[in-house]
Amino acid sequence: MDLRQAVITILSGIVGTLGFSLVFRMNKKKIIWAVIGGAFTCVVYVVCCRFFSHEFFQNVFPALFCAAYSEIFARLTRSPATPYIACSIISLVPGSKLFYTMYYAITSDMENFRTTLFQTFRIAAGLAVGIIVVSVIIREVNYNKFKNIYDVE
Amino acid sequence: MTKEKTVDVESLLCLALDIGKSMIKCGAEISRVEETIIRICCAFNMKQTEVFSIVSMITVTTYDENEKSYTQSRRTYSHSTNLGKLEKLNALSREICETKCDISYAKEKLLEINSEKSVFHVTALIGHILGASAFTVFFGGSILDALAAMPIAVVIYLMNTFIKARGMNKLFYTALCSAISGTLAFVFAKIGFGNDPNMIMIGDIMLIIPGLMLINSVREMLCGDIMSGLLRMIESIIISAAIACGFAVPILIFAKLGW
Repeated sequence: MDLRQAVITILSGIVGTLGFSLVFRMNKKKIIWAVIGGAFTCVVYVVCCRFFSHEFFQNVFPALFCAAYSEIFARLTRSPATPYIACSIISLVPGSKLFYTMYYAITSDMENFRTTLFQTFRIAAGLAVGIIVVSVIIREVNYNKFKNIYDVE
Repeated sequence: MTKEKTVDVESLLCLALDIGKSMIKCGAEISRVEETIIRICCAFNMKQTEVFSIVSMITVTTYDENEKSYTQSRRTYSHSTNLGKLEKLNALSREICETKCDISYAKEKLLEINSEKSVFHVTALIGHILGASAFTVFFGGSILDALAAMPIAVVIYLMNTFIKARGMNKLFYTALCSAISGTLAFVFAKIGFGNDPNMIMIGDIMLIIPGLMLINSVREMLCGDIMSGLLRMIESIIISAAIACGFAVPILIFAKLGW
């Protein structure tokens, strides 16, 4: 990925994050924090694309960053983290890959179907693992506070 | 509070379930819904609360101090993403847990949050336009392609507000939406407004494809909610298959016409 392409990716990622936070009807006062989070997530993604060629690693670090950022700003602005995560991660979501997977499936293009299917699931797993690692850490830190609710058997 | 208020457990449970149902409807994770219901019941001194929830169903049994059990359930049908509403519901459930307010008061507030109908919103329309054109550029389209994606995004938004709200079959609606926007993309590319119909289309597809739902499903499965994770994953795969089928229609038609 050269510099020009990286700049285009980051700028369009920012506009896309803004667009989708309006589509998801996020609280208008908090959109600015989601857009900043989306911008930095795109930057981390572009940097990771330079260092890794595997889709899992390209996506797990941006997701880690995004989830950590969202948890911090959720605490600062007194709201749940889900809205921030959903908006900031939207530019990495494998929407086009998922579409092409199903498109190759219905046109019986098995070669391409197999490659895009595995790409889609590597990306999805990378993003999900990144988000989960942060939420597991948060849960362990807060364990004493919510002991009665988690109620380990 | 020294003297504990006695509450009507039936209506408390009804309130907790209504909040949970509204949360699922605006796209919350299952673990958040279960936790919210347990917290509300805990706040009113229920001895033990058991919740099971999947995307389409919540069932709760709670035991009061006399070991008397109360069970209620809710069925949910459609769900979409509405993060502003999710935030308000979360704030309401926090308020209920902290202040232990009257149930009738909480019910009124819940009604207020839910009363917002899905009518035409200018900001959501702008969001559709921005999102579609930005993702056209993100996936490698030109500026002209991004401009061509804008009117299609408006069409998708109008269809979302005026047709989807009537409760049409979700798969059929998605395929129809995809077919109409695909045809428009081909026509635009043909008359010279945009270079590549696939690039015009991919930005608009981001608006209807359940990519976020796929991520959430993997997340839920890894967190242990395997049932609802599987349901969500299968739903997202079927919906994207419907989108692909819808998009295949204009491709076949235009190939026949020899454009």
